[in-house]
Amino acid sequence: MRLRRTTGTDPLVEDLCRVLPAERVRAAPLERSIMGRDSSIFEGGQAGPVCFPISTEEVQGCVDAARRHGRAVVPRGAGTGLAGGAVPLDEPVVVVTTKMNRLVSLDADQRVAWVQPGMINLDLSRAVAAHGLHFAPDPSSQQVCSLGGNVGTNAGGPHCLAHGVTSAHVLAVEVVLMSGESVVLGDADGFAPGLDLRGAYVGSEGMMGITTAVAVRLTPNPPAVQTILLAFDTVDAAAQTVSAVIADGIVPAAIEMMDRNIIWAVENFVGAGFPTDAAAVVIVEVDGLPGGVEAEADRVGELAIERGGRVRRAADDQERALLWKGRKSAFGAIAQIKPNYYLHDTVVPRTRLAEVMNRVYEIVDEHDLQVMNVFHAGDGNLHPLLLYDRREPGIMARVHAAGSAIIEASLAAGGVLSGEHGIGIEKRDFMQLMFSEADLDAQSRLRRAFDPDEMANPGKVLPTGASCADVNALEKVPEGVWG
Amino acid sequence: MSARASLGIDPEELASCVACGLCLPHCPTFRVTGEEWASPRGRISAMRQVQDQGAAIDQAFLSSMDTCVQCRGCEPACPSGVPFGSMMEATQAELARRRRVDWRQWGFRVLGHPWLLNLFSRGLAVGQRLRLVPSRRLGLPKIPLRQHRLRVSGDDVWLFTGCVMDAWQRSTHAAVKRVVEAAGAGVALPGAAAGCCGALSLHAGLEGHSRALAVRTMRALEGSAPILVDSAGCGAVLKEYGKHLGTPAAVAFSKRVMDVHEWLAARADRLPSALEGGQDLTIAVHDPCHLRHVQRAHQPVTEVLTPFATVVALDDDGLCCGAGGAYAAMQPELAAAIRERKLEAIRRSGADIVASANPGCTIHLANAGVAVRHPLEIVDEMVDYDH
Amino acid sequence: MASREAGEELESFAAEVGSGGPVAVVGGRTRWEVGGACQEETRLVRAPAGVRGFDPADMTIRVGAGTPVTELDAVLAEAGQRVNLPLLPGATVGGLLAVGRDDVHALGRGRLRDALLEAVYVADDGRLVTAGGPTVKNVSGFDLCRLLVGSLGTLGLVGEVILRTWPRPLGQQWLVGPCDPVELRRRLFSPSSILWDGHTVWVHLEGHESDVEAEAELARSLGCSPADGPPPLPAHRVPTGELKADGFPGSYLVQVGTGSAYVSEPFPLPEPDPAVVALHQRLKAQFDPGGRLNPGRDPLAAS
Repeated sequence: MRLRRTTGTDPLVEDLCRVLPAERVRAAPLERSIMGRDSSIFEGGQAGPVCFPISTEEVQGCVDAARRHGRAVVPRGAGTGLAGGAVPLDEPVVVVTTKMNRLVSLDADQRVAWVQPGMINLDLSRAVAAHGLHFAPDPSSQQVCSLGGNVGTNAGGPHCLAHGVTSAHVLAVEVVLMSGESVVLGDADGFAPGLDLRGAYVGSEGMMGITTAVAVRLTPNPPAVQTILLAFDTVDAAAQTVSAVIADGIVPAAIEMMDRNIIWAVENFVGAGFPTDAAAVVIVEVDGLPGGVEAEADRVGELAIERGGRVRRAADDQERALLWKGRKSAFGAIAQIKPNYYLHDTVVPRTRLAEVMNRVYEIVDEHDLQVMNVFHAGDGNLHPLLLYDRREPGIMARVHAAGSAIIEASLAAGGVLSGEHGIGIEKRDFMQLMFSEADLDAQSRLRRAFDPDEMANPGKVLPTGASCADVNALEKVPEGVWG
Repeated sequence: MSARASLGIDPEELASCVACGLCLPHCPTFRVTGEEWASPRGRISAMRQVQDQGAAIDQAFLSSMDTCVQCRGCEPACPSGVPFGSMMEATQAELARRRRVDWRQWGFRVLGHPWLLNLFSRGLAVGQRLRLVPSRRLGLPKIPLRQHRLRVSGDDVWLFTGCVMDAWQRSTHAAVKRVVEAAGAGVALPGAAAGCCGALSLHAGLEGHSRALAVRTMRALEGSAPILVDSAGCGAVLKEYGKHLGTPAAVAFSKRVMDVHEWLAARADRLPSALEGGQDLTIAVHDPCHLRHVQRAHQPVTEVLTPFATVVALDDDGLCCGAGGAYAAMQPELAAAIRERKLEAIRRSGADIVASANPGCTIHLANAGVAVRHPLEIVDEMVDYDH
Repeated sequence: MASREAGEELESFAAEVGSGGPVAVVGGRTRWEVGGACQEETRLVRAPAGVRGFDPADMTIRVGAGTPVTELDAVLAEAGQRVNLPLLPGATVGGLLAVGRDDVHALGRGRLRDALLEAVYVADDGRLVTAGGPTVKNVSGFDLCRLLVGSLGTLGLVGEVILRTWPRPLGQQWLVGPCDPVELRRRLFSPSSILWDGHTVWVHLEGHESDVEAEAELARSLGCSPADGPPPLPAHRVPTGELKADGFPGSYLVQVGTGSAYVSEPFPLPEPDPAVVALHQRLKAQFDPGGRLNPGRDPLAAS
């Protein structure tokens, strides 16, 4: 059988092959097209050569080569972002850090580890488990997402309520700037005098440089944990209980809410013992020292009962694991109902939760769609899942219209565009709803201080990028959404 | 080969992936390469490029497909229930049709003829004794010179004996047979009438050949008695005959197939007690992919072993060991890299012996110096047949 | 839809800052000299003061940057809450954020820089800019809030902020003793502070009463006894990475687990990486090209 030659004589590829061994530069059309998307709904991004460096020096070499050829650079970890942050526009050099996946050093006494950016979030917690430590941010994709990606999106997760999101757990980052320089922002074992460049960099969605190492703060495993399942006859009662718990001076490790449709689907799927007659369930986890944990678990139960809730406390680790399995299987359960879903991510003040959820139900009805809610209620982080079958004609326009309406309702209630997924391509053109021209100008200045020529992941986050045409060329984006 | 091609994948199946990426950590080739084209999500994307967008079948596409171990570890991890194995089988079938010469056709054909396989094995065994065969490099176990005959002891259950395993590891069948008999069942044997189940041909896309082997196997294992299988890879395929052949007879046949551990776990109380000292032995259970991901029946192995030894689980979420039927021979570098992860997990477990219910895994791991036994060989040694 | 509306007081603060001439914002002058003296002939302005919005169930509070931190704390105390800022008498919220120095309890309560959710500041051109957002979780756009904390007002003059609040713990206790700080940190689950002067350790516990009692018992078994409070902090802050085997010259106090130590004698800060210096220069050039905001101050010189 005859095979087509897959690598041409692109001078950029030749330059990259001087920096990396040829087998770590992938430039065949198929290898590039596979990198055209991440876990978001945006397909058809255009990747240039795809590089797999294994050291900071190699990353610098890739950046230098791209710069000499006037090409932008898109950093990529596991490619599990939900906002299209890793979708390449206009054939940039894609620098994938998955092969840089080692734990570089661990100081268990100081609870600090240096890791490479391609290390998987859960692998880090596993690697330090023997020392009674873990990495607190636990996004739902933690078994696959990379720590470099967590830094890029300032990732969250159910257990960020008490412990804070990624930024609070990153002490320092080593970054390759678009000039090719490598610089350490922050300080792993002291404080870095000057501006908090580390803090400005975390959550920059690959638009300020490429992360080549991260110093993370590790958290001791709590000596006591209680997981409580609360069931309610109305969503309002569930939301009010969440507010009441917070107002009572309790900061649980996690408060997760699921509404009727998803409870039903999860029970069908894994049988976690959730009450299928409830309109909403809330999983509350309190952890820490035993005295406080017991007292808080009791108080959570009282507050729920006062609001008509039913209370079930996990008796042992097995039951705890089952409740969390129910929560974490939510996405798996959805496939039983519709083949596709669009997962939204907005945050509202905790006191407005019930009101905004009711508005979400109205919006979904108005657009004749189905919705399921499974989300981080403790910090007001809504995740409405719009269910659809993409083969249904005209469905995408309705999905996007409902999505826009949900975003507007969240902002109107004093909320924000995204709690943990980021802006990427998805919400780039919604930024003006939340920020004034002056606000956006300031963000753009921050970006230009790091990347004056705007060569790092261009076309994302900031609505006045130069790549509108590329974004419009992406598939699955109905007319008008980006207009 | 023409540039534009349909891979013959069911369009519904191909459309079902939403690219969430939750499969990535469960894919052994993604784990060792970190490259998207070597992941289920990337492979599906490549299949779509070819089937939906008319992209050429080029070297990049072939590498993406041929490096897949077909362990199907991605399937249980998939929230959308994407049938990856069936999509990969369709792709391999199309690629096989397009290959003018495929030596695998001749290699796997031998497996369908027990006398030929025995002759070949005898030759290999002699070659090994004379040091004419580089066993280590080829990944071959030590093949016995003489085979002991297995004798029928009743007709309560069939024991499927297969091809390579019967030729190279018949002593395992003998141990399995003794344990099954100790649980109170008379064992029927298909002898030379059955032979290869067709798994390797199916994974290589040789559809016609695998169908013929399936028909012959079904004919050899007639009646209504349960069909017990002690090789996870064979059991997985026998259980899928119904799906592949689509005939009522095949569906009925597949319903009779059980992994031998499933059958034993339901009769654990009938097994004799353990000899003393068994609990001093620490055994790590290696879950063969085709038992864990395809048959989803790996728990019974632990249940059956537990009364006879101290059993520990490996902490790698059942990631593939890299054996993958003929994979270790076809992709030796990747197979070795994948195995390295498994060896680390085995070292962390602190076990003395590894139990594996699949001959391919056993051979592949033993080649790296690991002490590997079939779970029922361990039971056979530890069970007190006198009581 | 318009962006979030600014109040009248913020508008007049912006007008007062204007768009020309050197200008600095003054708080309680408690840490006025940190990062260099303010250049002479700089016009001084004050940020608005007072609580603007507080719903205890949201666990956030909106205040004018000119609000004294003790006044803020009194309002929160009524609701059983607090913010993670040092309760320095006379200091303003804006001043504490501009200096960015952690509270002595940073080990258990977290870093001061994480307390800020949203800031409205006046940019060099006199425009009001909103950074961040009002919710406890927010990744909408770049994290300008982190950049503002510790910037000494050199990038913008903060007028109003939203801070994350926390419940006040039911029990608390200081202990002191000649213990090994590393051992103490390893054994105690979540002390809010461990201070060490090279010989003696001060440890602070807070949380549920019974947990504090149990942890205090553990600390006593390691050689600690109850104390009234921490010792006074020496004047100068240095990174603990600079700590040598024989400690620092003069007396010192290490804030264990936070990377900071306090020393009595001035101590040279480590020379920053030229690439870090260049980033500081580029940020200043982007945010205040005319150099009119807090002239004379340099965050890199702040300790």
